[in-house]
Amino acid sequence: MPAIQIPTQKWSGKVREVTLGATAADGGTRAKTVTVGGATTLPFLHFDGETPHAPVVAIEIQDRYPEDWSPILLEVWGDAAKDPASWAKAAEEKGADLIYLKFALNDDLSGDYARKIVRQVLDATGLPLIVFGPGQVEQDNDILVSVAEEGEGERLVLGVCEEKNYRTIVAAALAHGHLVDARTAMDVNLGKQLNILISDMGLPLDRIVMDPTTGALGYGMEYGYSVMERLRLAALQGDGMTQLPMLVTPGEETWRAKEARTDEGVPESWGDWTERAINWEVLTTSTLLESGADIVVLRHPESLKRVKGMINALMSH
Amino acid sequence: MFLLTCPLSHLLTGSNKGVIIATHTVHLEPSGKTAQAATGALLTDVIREAGLDFNIPCGGQGRCGRCAVIAKDSAGIRRRSTVRLSQKDLSAGYALACQTVVEGDARITIPPQEKIERRLTTDKTAGKVSLPFVYSYLDHQSLRLFPLTIEAPSLGDQTDDWSRLKRSLAANHNVSNLVADLPVLQKLGQSLRDNHWQVTAIVEMKTWDRPKGPPRLIALQPGSSPLSGPLIEGQTRNLWAAAVDIGTTTVSLYLVNLLTGEIATKAAEYNGQIRRGEDVISRIIFAGKENGLQDLQTLVVDTINKLAERAARRAKIKPQEIYRMTVTGNSTMIHLLLGLPPSSIRLDPFVTTINQPPPVRAGELGINICAQANIECLPGVASYVGADISAGVIGSQMCGSQALTLFLDVGTNGEMVLGDCDWLISCACSAGPAFEGAGVQDGMRATIGAIEEVWVNNDTFEPTYRVIPNPRLEARDEATPPRGICGSGLISLLAEMFITGVIDKGGHLNFTLESPRIREGEHGPEYVVAWGADTEEGRDICITKVDIDNLMRAKGAIYAGFAVLAESIGIELEMVERFLIGGSFGQYINVEKAVQIGLLPDLPWERFDFLGNTSLRGALLALLNDTYHRQVAEAASKMTYLELSADNTFYDAFTSALFLPHTDIEKFPSVAKVLG
Repeated sequence: MPAIQIPTQKWSGKVREVTLGATAADGGTRAKTVTVGGATTLPFLHFDGETPHAPVVAIEIQDRYPEDWSPILLEVWGDAAKDPASWAKAAEEKGADLIYLKFALNDDLSGDYARKIVRQVLDATGLPLIVFGPGQVEQDNDILVSVAEEGEGERLVLGVCEEKNYRTIVAAALAHGHLVDARTAMDVNLGKQLNILISDMGLPLDRIVMDPTTGALGYGMEYGYSVMERLRLAALQGDGMTQLPMLVTPGEETWRAKEARTDEGVPESWGDWTERAINWEVLTTSTLLESGADIVVLRHPESLKRVKGMINALMSH
Repeated sequence: MFLLTCPLSHLLTGSNKGVIIATHTVHLEPSGKTAQAATGALLTDVIREAGLDFNIPCGGQGRCGRCAVIAKDSAGIRRRSTVRLSQKDLSAGYALACQTVVEGDARITIPPQEKIERRLTTDKTAGKVSLPFVYSYLDHQSLRLFPLTIEAPSLGDQTDDWSRLKRSLAANHNVSNLVADLPVLQKLGQSLRDNHWQVTAIVEMKTWDRPKGPPRLIALQPGSSPLSGPLIEGQTRNLWAAAVDIGTTTVSLYLVNLLTGEIATKAAEYNGQIRRGEDVISRIIFAGKENGLQDLQTLVVDTINKLAERAARRAKIKPQEIYRMTVTGNSTMIHLLLGLPPSSIRLDPFVTTINQPPPVRAGELGINICAQANIECLPGVASYVGADISAGVIGSQMCGSQALTLFLDVGTNGEMVLGDCDWLISCACSAGPAFEGAGVQDGMRATIGAIEEVWVNNDTFEPTYRVIPNPRLEARDEATPPRGICGSGLISLLAEMFITGVIDKGGHLNFTLESPRIREGEHGPEYVVAWGADTEEGRDICITKVDIDNLMRAKGAIYAGFAVLAESIGIELEMVERFLIGGSFGQYINVEKAVQIGLLPDLPWERFDFLGNTSLRGALLALLNDTYHRQVAEAASKMTYLELSADNTFYDAFTSALFLPHTDIEKFPSVAKVLG
């Protein structure tokens, strides 16, 4: 029987390799660094090209106890969630590749406060750190500049860096050796345009991760999927301004969705709440990984375990 | 004060029993006039009924904010919408006349509105228009002069006047099957006798839609001087006709002597409809209001009459001696001229009442030339690709060439045609009126006081600018203070701000630069182009972030149109060999600046050609030679129309073009070089 020849697609482009975190040798204090990107093919198509770095999973922790989170999450993290340092440690123990520290929207957020929290988290874990402000331009600008100073040399990822405030965030990243999370609405052109604006300020492209925004399963995920797929296709076709790893936050999106958030007034056929919520997070995440996500931010440790399992299975060939 | 509109007795006994309409007195300052208005009457209507000239640039949609009036205390009025007014405006008493109703006695001050001053450089100058063929009256013209010496009737020959005329035409000029409208017959007997049976018949041998005739008698002129040889004293040898282009903004007219094919004079005037709306959509909306269509039709006919009269005066003739008129314009303008309701043009699925209207008599439209003269509207293609574009295709000669040509007519809509002698594809993208100065805070038309070109210093970020001068001040060697920025000024300003880094590629002002001109204004970030001390109104002239966004959208839409047209047939824009730009605005565009902002594709400059008013030129060609009228019709019918709203392609191309100069800088190598 003749051997079946699997047709392969050779791309001219390659996703840029981006390293998060810095060890002592590179001026930081991380126990290890995480490198993503470098792919010369679409996700997991090992017969087409190289995927030198597996996608990685970050666990989201918050600066203060997130009372508005689902009781499922609060229960699983327990007392650890009451203190960012212990939460970071717990996440590391559960197998997270990265820590994603999010500052919740709060009136008394200040630069000094953010500096203190970031210091605690950096001291508690050896994992590279992603730090997000609450997503309001003015507060983000305030705290991220202080965070950048405090984390000097750590190659943190600072987010969100949007069209509205990119100058401030990029300037802070430039001055203190960090990376930025370039977030736009779900649109290929907008994503590319922000990367251009940022790199025009002199930040090297290997210090930018793209954040094309996404939605949970049933809440616009397919649109996000399509945009990410098109961005990745453009990258592989040689468009330099889209050849960046992508970060998405399926955890945050999922736990906002009704299916994960609540068990009240839902049909019995929806089944066990916890299992349903985790499935929702895992399904959303696995789909986004197939569309080219390089860094996914999750909330539930069981989701982390399942997603890591899926990544390992898809990467072994 | 409450007045009853009709005597009380009538109310009690008449058909309006029980209906009491309260009216109020509205004082209109500074005119000193007062008007009576019923409860609920719109201020715009009240002002107009008082006989005051009042512009509503957006047609009364409450969108442009340019019909603002001041009501010191708000007594007697109610603002239905305050969207365009800031808190500061409101506390100063501003109200939009088109969004404000009368509910009691009121006192209104009407501030001076932007006067529409004529700065039509082309008016009067009958520029030499070169024709693509050698015009011969006998070979090309369907309107003909036939000198006749008719045998007077007698008891021996009681043949009727009309048959005598026909007999003479057939015998001497071989013209048979003559027809005439009743008004011509009504004057026939008198005219023949007054002129002692020596007359010249003006006959239209055929029309473009009836190439086989029958010939139609339009008028009789006194005398029968032959067309060649010495003139009989007191007679002239002319046959007058006019070509007209109805632009949304400007109406232009050529007065042409059909015997020689020469343009005797050119006249241009702002379209009188402007005060009922600045863009096509505003006019369509206005046409839907009570008497709106009739009002707009009258306004454009008045404009044409004014032009015909002015041109006739210069040629020392009467306008009634004009015996033929060809007209082009976009589909909406043609609909409004003919009194056809244009509403379906702006509603999905965007169809016109008629793309190829038949000839109509001048008298039917109220056009004050010879009443029997035909008004021939050139054919259009679709709702947003009108006769002005099909005429432009002929006027620009693009369809006679092997070279791949892109023809752009830029105005409120960017209409464009790509093709060569074998095929044509067109589309229209709604660019919005930003390049015409509307929708921009300190935008204005290219009239006196408009900043028309700007340079920004690379180091200090200080601008210098050129203002369209006031001739009176210019004569005294005084500088004209700026009042606003016109389209070409906006393009050059945007390009200069971009190249010097005052704005980034996304159009955001760079606040990290040291310049007092970059500041946070009432409507967000802005750049001061002229300080109040230097301007006519003493107010800073600025370009705001909102303005920049509007301009980016306008240029993005036009470029996206090019991109989608090219993509639809699988070519690259750089393959375009000739890039023709029509429209009067086009003449003032600086190609370098327009390429820098990504409005025009990055082609070698020599490929661009500015043709001025191609639409009017197309009308002239059709007037001189019916072949061209048929060619316009053919071009119109063979032109593929690409509806951009049909899928996502345009949207993608548009967001991609919403960047300076473009998201894909590779498409703009010359700009990439300037940026270094």
